[in-house]
Amino acid sequence: MMNFKKTFTIYKKEMLDILRDKRTVISTIVVPIILYPLLMVGISSIMSRQEQKLEEQTAIIYLDDQVRDMNSGKIMAYLSNVKNVQIMNEVDDPMNLIHEDIVKAIITITDTVNSSGFQILRAKISYDESDEKAARVFRQLRDEFVKIENDIIGDRLADISVDVEILSAVEVIKDNIAPPEQMLGFFIGQILPYLLIMLTISGGAVVASDLVAGEKERGTLETILVSAAHRNELVFGKYLTIITISFITVFLNLFSMYVSFQHMLGQTGIDMQNINLPLGNFALVLVAMLPMITLFAAILLSISTFSRNIKEAQSYQMPLLMVGMMAAMITIFPAFELNAGMALIPIVNIALLFKDIMMNNFQLDYFLIVVGSTLILDIAAIYYSIKLFNNESILFRTAEEKSLKFWGKEKRDIFSQQFIFIFFTVILLLFYYLGAGWQMENLESGLIKTQLLLILLPVILILRVSKNDLKQTLRLKKTNFKNYLVAILAAVPIIIIVSIITQLINIIYPIPESYLKAMENLLTMSDGGLLRTIIIIAVLPGICEEILFRGFIINGFKKRGFLSSIVITALLFGIIHLELFKLIPVIIIGIWLGYLVLRTNSLFVPIIAHIINNTLAVLAGNDNLPIISEYVREGNIPYWLIIPAVAMMYGLIKWTENINAKEYIGE
Amino acid sequence: MIEVKNISKIFRQKNGEEFFAVNDISFSAKNGEIVVLLGVNGAGKTTTMRMLSTVLQPNAGTAIIEKYDIIKNPQKVRANLGFLSGDTGLYSRLTAREIIVYFGRLYDVKDEVIDSRLEKLSKLLDMDSFLDKKVDMLSTGMKQKVSIARSIIHDPPVMIFDEPTSGLDILTAKNIIDFIYKCKDDNKCVLFSTHIMREAERIADRIIMIHKGSKLAEGTWQELQAETGKRDLDDIFIEFVNREEHKSFDDLKLDEIEGENDEL
Repeated sequence: MMNFKKTFTIYKKEMLDILRDKRTVISTIVVPIILYPLLMVGISSIMSRQEQKLEEQTAIIYLDDQVRDMNSGKIMAYLSNVKNVQIMNEVDDPMNLIHEDIVKAIITITDTVNSSGFQILRAKISYDESDEKAARVFRQLRDEFVKIENDIIGDRLADISVDVEILSAVEVIKDNIAPPEQMLGFFIGQILPYLLIMLTISGGAVVASDLVAGEKERGTLETILVSAAHRNELVFGKYLTIITISFITVFLNLFSMYVSFQHMLGQTGIDMQNINLPLGNFALVLVAMLPMITLFAAILLSISTFSRNIKEAQSYQMPLLMVGMMAAMITIFPAFELNAGMALIPIVNIALLFKDIMMNNFQLDYFLIVVGSTLILDIAAIYYSIKLFNNESILFRTAEEKSLKFWGKEKRDIFSQQFIFIFFTVILLLFYYLGAGWQMENLESGLIKTQLLLILLPVILILRVSKNDLKQTLRLKKTNFKNYLVAILAAVPIIIIVSIITQLINIIYPIPESYLKAMENLLTMSDGGLLRTIIIIAVLPGICEEILFRGFIINGFKKRGFLSSIVITALLFGIIHLELFKLIPVIIIGIWLGYLVLRTNSLFVPIIAHIINNTLAVLAGNDNLPIISEYVREGNIPYWLIIPAVAMMYGLIKWTENINAKEYIGE
Repeated sequence: MIEVKNISKIFRQKNGEEFFAVNDISFSAKNGEIVVLLGVNGAGKTTTMRMLSTVLQPNAGTAIIEKYDIIKNPQKVRANLGFLSGDTGLYSRLTAREIIVYFGRLYDVKDEVIDSRLEKLSKLLDMDSFLDKKVDMLSTGMKQKVSIARSIIHDPPVMIFDEPTSGLDILTAKNIIDFIYKCKDDNKCVLFSTHIMREAERIADRIIMIHKGSKLAEGTWQELQAETGKRDLDDIFIEFVNREEHKSFDDLKLDEIEGENDEL
């Protein structure tokens, strides 16, 4: 259902419209062409001037010679010949002068005797490392003292008639074989990904917010919607426009940067005959950019379609920009290298790919994984855009301000999705800012305080304040014996499934040793015995976390139906654990616990399941259950076990007594 | 030809309550006929028309434009429809000509045909002087003319104009009304909405009165006069509104009485 001629007509019109907008022209074309030359020329000339100035300036140092013998006298003689350094003695309060920035360094000379009875002169150099000039003076003085030492050693050796040359036995020669291009590539590889991702997002952002949200604002969206153009044609026409502008921004920036860089290097006197910026790599980067540009274009288009006006679109673009920035920064850390696992993480993969390309480390298989996975996300995002574009309630969202109303006079509904999200976010923040600190201070009491004060207390308080019945809301009701049995029996297959998944994740993203160590510490903190650990790690969280998640939070998503309530609650449950490596296993457990509570209508069932699951983990961690420890902890559980485990889970799910069918229609 | 069948639209208010913006309205308009939707602001005229334009989906009922259903075949409906409302703005950075040509192309009209139609429309609507100016620089009246040309550049058999003369000076308004007469002569089906009674009086072959989302009355001016015994369209409209409100008042009273009976 798409006519390419019409899509192209729309694209042409959007381009014309956009290019007549001065803001776009300035930000995409004028700025890159003018900015880089200005920046490069400006920075390089300022830098060289500053350098010169620093070297020419005279620094005053204070010398306090408490030894006053022949050797310490040499120091005085040496230092008074150092360029741009002026020595001062006989001052009452030298420390004061250093604070007043009159004196850059204070040298205090004392002496002592070493084990063989020789005199050792001690020169303490006091200076302010945060003062660039003082730091420079320090380095200069340090070099001088090496010369002084050599001189004194020379004298001593002469006294016992030994040739000074006896001291030269090993010579280190630095031979950096990296060609200049490689060094440059290394340097550019660190900053380029960051820069490119920023440019892609910021270049596309201006245009994207204008294309749909802007049309809403100016009242032209309906005009185009009543025309014969198909929605898909509109989306693709606008999508191509964003891609084009992003690409122009990136290309012009790269080009301008390339030329300016060469100019700058030429100016600093580096011999340009031998250094050629790797132009081929720049071209490869541009090719790798394409899937990323299209991905961001699709996301930006979705944001713009969802937003009511340009301002709203811009505020939604901010988080995208932040995430992009942080992901791109990964190239600065040497520990991260492109591998099969990393190649699947969006944005990060592209940043690492760029780095590899610039360092002549291009590997086709990773390149294909990065491009392929980005394209898959890209298709998902564009599909989502089209869906949004076909949704009249999103296209014509009226300016309603819900968020603040909650606290006003309106009837308060603590089971609205919005309130639940706010509530969860507050708990998450408390968890992060308070809980983590408590646990750092004292693991045991920290965990207890976190569970009781940050997880249990808020739920009780909010239900009390809003005058909701605790028993009813939290489903604190008994159920059949059969259902309790399900909760207990399921512990075995669940632990198998989760362990196998963890094992699989571990292959792609190896869990760091330090993290495993911390985990083990947590599970074996048996100062007070195993029982105490079980209470703190299993029983308390089992009760408190279930009350928060399966008792309270899950009620907020009732409107979304049975499955969505469970999955969303499990996602939040995964997030609050604040541990990336455990995220997926925790979500899976969360889904099972959510299923239990909605199916049996009793919170006691997931509480039991939760406690048993955590208890098994503690026992395994303490080697009390050799079978589990052997298989689970060492990570060599046989994969075929997944089949009986899943079969058993299926049987248990079927076997669960459905008590709650009425509440969720369609289950 | 337009045929509206029991169409309804529910909107959700800010406080979460739902209400009928359009409640079970049916009517039709033939080719060569000008039908006017008459009602005060907020009566549901624009919502009805937006559903016909396929921009909004009805919650119940449907409508046929030419032979196409607005729900099953929105694409064909839009191809056979010229639609203009207060919400259909123009691209301010493009010239009048660029906009009209752009929409012509979106309707799959050949470039030569667009050119000749544009020339004709420009004569009829007196647009020659500002055809190559950016929309930004145009007056309200000029913009409205561009909007009209934009909406019918594909020569559609059905035209829907939502308050096309609102906010215009009398000369421009007359120019537009004359143009609509000409469309009728060309055997087009025109649906026209207004809250100005005098305008409805002058232009309508048939009048459909809408109030609070529901249809109050339908007929030619003469028929409506005969039904109410009033001469002036203002009075006729008020008469129908009163009747409607009395009816609901009577219903209410009936309910109350029944309620009291229950208590007894």
